[in-house]
Amino acid sequence: MKLYVKSLSMHLKSMLEYKASFIIAFLSQIMVFFSYYFIILSLFDKFDNIKGFTLYEVLLCFSIIQFGYAFCETFARGIDRFDRLIISGDFDRLLLRPKNIFIQVLSSDADFIKISRLIQALIIMIISLINLNISITPLKVITLFLMIISAIVIFFGIFLLAASYCFITIQGLEVRNLFTDGGKHMAQYPIGVFKKGFLLFFTFVIPYAFVNYYPLLYFIGKSNNVLYAFTPLIVFVYLIPCFLAFKLGMKKYQSVGS
Amino acid sequence: MSFIYVNNISKQFKVVKRPSGLKNAIRSFFKRDYKIVDAIKNVSFKINKGEIVGYIGPNGAGKSTTIKILSGILVPDSGTCKIKGYVPYNQRDKYVKHIGVVFGQRSQLWWDIPAEDTFDLLKNVYDIPEDEFIKTKNELIEKLNLKEFVNVPVRQLSLGQRMRCEIAASLLHSPDILFLDEPTIGLDAVSKQIVRDFIKKLNKEKKITVILTTHDMADIEALAKRIILIGKGSVLYDGSLKKLKSKYDNNKYINIITKDKINIKNKGIIKKERTNNGYKFIIDSKVINISAFLNLISKNATIDDVEIDNENIDNIIVKLYEEYKI
Repeated sequence: MKLYVKSLSMHLKSMLEYKASFIIAFLSQIMVFFSYYFIILSLFDKFDNIKGFTLYEVLLCFSIIQFGYAFCETFARGIDRFDRLIISGDFDRLLLRPKNIFIQVLSSDADFIKISRLIQALIIMIISLINLNISITPLKVITLFLMIISAIVIFFGIFLLAASYCFITIQGLEVRNLFTDGGKHMAQYPIGVFKKGFLLFFTFVIPYAFVNYYPLLYFIGKSNNVLYAFTPLIVFVYLIPCFLAFKLGMKKYQSVGS
Repeated sequence: MSFIYVNNISKQFKVVKRPSGLKNAIRSFFKRDYKIVDAIKNVSFKINKGEIVGYIGPNGAGKSTTIKILSGILVPDSGTCKIKGYVPYNQRDKYVKHIGVVFGQRSQLWWDIPAEDTFDLLKNVYDIPEDEFIKTKNELIEKLNLKEFVNVPVRQLSLGQRMRCEIAASLLHSPDILFLDEPTIGLDAVSKQIVRDFIKKLNKEKKITVILTTHDMADIEALAKRIILIGKGSVLYDGSLKKLKSKYDNNKYINIITKDKINIKNKGIIKKERTNNGYKFIIDSKVINISAFLNLISKNATIDDVEIDNENIDNIIVKLYEEYKI
C-alpha cells in the first residue's frame, strides 16, 4: 500500500511537469461533464418527470455513478489502462519485481485530471440532496454512503474484468467500453426508467441496479423495504469473480508468452 | 550444483498465420490459422557464480525467450531451470530480489521525472533499508558518474546518460545476477566504454554473475570469456571466445600501399581488391604464411607501407552463422 501511495505522488509529479497541458485538460473535463449534465437538464425542461422520477432524483443517481466512475478513473487508472501495459511490454518489467502484481498494476498509472469530474459530481450530489427534501435518518445516511462506495466498487470490478480480458486478446478496448461507458450512461438514470429486460440485465449480469436503483428507491422514499438499503453490499460479491478472472489471466499470460 | 542450471528447456509459441492483404485480414478475423513455432528447443547450460557469459545469436534466435524464462516472466513448456536454488517461474516473488535486469530497448525509469525519484520508488519496491539504500545509491552514482544528471528529468537525458541511470536502477537492490539485454545498443563510443568498464569492475569486486546478450561483438570481446551461441532455438556453441576465434583466426587482412601494379595468383589468397592507393588482400595463413606472402609481393612491386589485421570478431560471427545455416 505504501508503494501505491508513493506511486501516486510520482504520477502527480509527472503530471505537474506539464503545467499548461494539465490546466487545459482540467478545464476541458469540466466542459465534458457539463454537457452530460446539460442533457439531463434539457430533458427535464420538456418533461417534469421520467417514469415518476423527478429531476433531482435523477441527478442524485447521475452524480453517484459519475463519482464512482471518476474515482476509479483517477485512482485505478492502472487497471483501466492495462492493455497499454501489456502491449508496450512494461508488464514484463512488473513481473521482475518482488511485489504483488495487482498492487503494481494499480500503481502503474493515475489520472489526476479526472479529479475535476470527481469534484463536480460531488457538487451536483450536494445540490440534489438539498433540493430533494428528504428526512434524513441514520439508515439513510448509511444507504447513501453504501451507494457511493458500491459505485466505486462496481467500476473497479468492471475495469478488472476488462483487464483480465486483455490477457487473452492483448487489446480489450471495445468490450470494456460497452460495459463502462455504455453502462455508465444507462446507469446515470435510475435503471427502472428503462424496459424490464434492462433492469434484469443490470441486476444479474452487471449489478448496476444494486448501486443506483434499489437503494435509491429506499433513499428517496419510493420503497420502505429496509433490505433495499443494503443491496449495494451485493456489489462486493461481484468483485470476487473479477479478481479470479484476473488471476486466471495472469497464469495464462505466463505460459503463453509475449 | 551450479549457480545457474538450465536443463533441456523448450518453449513453443502459437503464432497466428496470416497472409498479407485486406481480404486475408478479414478472413483471419473470423477463422484463424495457427502455426506452432519453437522459440527454444532443448536448451541446456550451466553457469558458475561470478562468470560473465555472452549469450549471442541472430535476431529471433530465442535469446529474449531464454532471458524471460531465466528471469521468471515465462514458464517453459518442458525442462527444468534452477537459479541460486530457486525455480524462477514458480518462486517468482522470492527469486526476483536476487536478480537485476536491464533491457536496452525498454526503460524502467519514469520519463518525466528525475532518475533519482525512480530510485526512491525502487527503494520501496525492493524494501531496501534506508542506510543501505543511501550507501548503494551513492556508490552507483559515483561509479557510473551520474552526479550531474541524476536530478534532471529523464526525458532530457542523452541515451548514454539514460542507460547509465538504467543500469544503476537495476543494481540498487544489490542483486547476485545481472541480466543485460543489449545494454550498449545505440550508445556512442565513450558511453559504451563507461558501461563496459563498470560491468567489468562490478563483476570483479562483487562477484556478480552477468548474462549479456548483445549484437555488438566488441561488448563480448571486452567482457565475456565464455559465449553461448544460440540459433533457431538451440545451443550451437558453448565455450571460450578464444577457442572460437582461433578456429577462424587463419584469415589475415593485409593492406598494401603501393604505386605499382600487382598481378599475382597464388594458393592461399582468398580475395584481392584494389584500393585507391594500393591493394587489399585476405589470405589464409595456414596455406601461405605472412612472410612468404610479402616476399611474393615484394618481387613484383615496391611496398610503400603494409598493414596486417586479424579477422575481426564480427566476421567470425557471420561465418559462424553461415556455418550453422542460421
